[in-house]
Amino acid sequence: MSVVVEGLTKAYGRSRALDGLSFSAYQGVTGLLGPNGAGKTTLIRMLATALAPDGGTIRLLGMDSARDQAAIRRRLGYLPQETGYHRAFTVFEFVDYVAILKEMVDRRARHDEVRRVLAEVGLSDVSHKKIRALSGGMRRRVGIAQALLGEPALVLLDEPTVGLDPEQRLRFRELISRIGEDRTVILSTHQTEDVTALCARVVVLKGGRQVFEGTPAELRALADGHTWLSDERSGVLSWRTGEGLFRNLGDAPAGSRLVEPTIEDGYLLLLGGIPAGATR
Amino acid sequence: MNQHTDRPGDRYMQTGWHMDDDMTAMYAEGLLSPTTAASVEAHLLACARCRELLKPRVAQPRLDRIWDEIVDVVDAPAPGPFERLLRLAGVRHHVARLLAAAQSLRLPWLAGTSLTLFFAALAAGETTRWGGIVFLALAPIVPALGVSLAYGRGADPTYEIGLAAPYSAFKVMLLRAAAVLITSVVPALVIGVALLGQTWTVVGWLLPALALTSLSLLLSRWFEPVHAAGGVSALWLAGVLWTNLHAPSLAMFGGAEQLAYLIITVVSGGLLFLGREEFS
Ligand SMILES: Nc1ncnc2c1ncn2[C@@H]1O[C@H](COP(=O)(O)OP(=O)(O)OP(=O)(O)O)[C@@H](O)[C@H]1O
Ligand SMILES: [Mg+2]
Ligand SMILES: [Zn+2]
Repeated sequence: MSVVVEGLTKAYGRSRALDGLSFSAYQGVTGLLGPNGAGKTTLIRMLATALAPDGGTIRLLGMDSARDQAAIRRRLGYLPQETGYHRAFTVFEFVDYVAILKEMVDRRARHDEVRRVLAEVGLSDVSHKKIRALSGGMRRRVGIAQALLGEPALVLLDEPTVGLDPEQRLRFRELISRIGEDRTVILSTHQTEDVTALCARVVVLKGGRQVFEGTPAELRALADGHTWLSDERSGVLSWRTGEGLFRNLGDAPAGSRLVEPTIEDGYLLLLGGIPAGATR
Repeated sequence: MNQHTDRPGDRYMQTGWHMDDDMTAMYAEGLLSPTTAASVEAHLLACARCRELLKPRVAQPRLDRIWDEIVDVVDAPAPGPFERLLRLAGVRHHVARLLAAAQSLRLPWLAGTSLTLFFAALAAGETTRWGGIVFLALAPIVPALGVSLAYGRGADPTYEIGLAAPYSAFKVMLLRAAAVLITSVVPALVIGVALLGQTWTVVGWLLPALALTSLSLLLSRWFEPVHAAGGVSALWLAGVLWTNLHAPSLAMFGGAEQLAYLIITVVSGGLLFLGREEFS
């Protein structure tokens, strides 16, 4: 197991961002799913050794994250949720800068590695451009590129697909699933499609706790027999679909038109919350 | 990858000379001066004939290495003017890149602060009554604020990525602090001596500058660097203002005071070093 987290707690003043969180992740891609404020970023920052927990233990790649920080950092790739960029740098210079922070001292080898990761995310053509001249989605790709430097054994990506266009998202999924073949990738996302497309395992966070851990199919199965269409609003969650029918989640009344659930249905049912744009 | 990777020479004009046997031999043995070797390499880039001439003299792996090196020089973007300047001053490549990322080490900040001091000194030369007090009061703040703008979450957009990288954040901080000190103290010294004459008072701000800077660095363990430096600078200005309320006075720059600044510097420096783990 590459990541084992037990009883993680973190409080900011009175509010508890993480409340006894436990989960593990293996080689392959693990998705972190959860509503705003669930604690995804707090968790990822701790895994990245950028934030110390108040309590609990984290083991990464067989090492204790409180003690072996330096060794862990050498094998880590990290894309923060909100990355800034040195805007005066070119794309190449910026990624090169991060490579220096990753202790790649040999200039030749480092430059080759910078070119490799830029090619991975399809930015070779703009490598000489200033970062400030890039679009938001391209900057996101620069962020992903730097997280791949040095072929890290553990890759942590906090909402990597935000701002990517559909084509890039596809490319990104392809890239991540390739990386996940022999490495551990943990990514947080709001996009259940990302989870469906990419993740072998998914962990759902809510209020700083883990409320689900399993495969995407298992998450979807939570809504089996609990998803139906009707002319009238019913169930615990219900929203009007494009066809004018209501899609309902909850305990289906006898004889209702059950439909195949999606991962999102399972996720929403688990949270018992309201999907964006839905009316109750 | 760049279009000219296989044949970088295509972009270059043929030059009017070729390598002879002597030169080839010396180059192969590594006996040429760095400047000559560099121009040889520039030529090799353009000239297939001389490359052929060199082949039998140099073992293939080394030839590949040389060739790679040349391609890399062409391929990697030329660094900005500030980085080139640093390299000229003998700073190593990767350190130059780490420094170039700091905004207070870039031209706008350096020019702005130098101009401020210049005008303060000019004004001081005009009014004998207040002498160089304004200059003496401002000069120590420049490095303290400059250092605070060179590192930390607020000033460094990639601070978070840096935290998760093996290169020590403490080391980055010290490197940039040293560079900012040099680039702000030297212009201030020049301006002071040139415009205010060569009395000891024109260097009376040096120890205060060190004291303010090291104290701000230390306090940044608990506060945002800019807040720490801002607070310390405000205290300093208040002190100067207070002692100058009724008549111009150098009370803040006397012998005992200078000793106090020295002590502050040494103690803050020591505490900073002892608490270095806290910065990463
Ligand atoms: N630096 C901070 N200071 C105070 N509170 C914080 C801080 N960082 C996070 N929090 C709080 O901790 C909780 C978890 O935040 P976190 O950013 O981990 O959520 P998230 O799951 O990443 O949300 P999102 O999907 O919006 O990115 C939130 O209630 C947030 O307000
Ligand atoms: Mg987040
Ligand atoms: Zn020639």
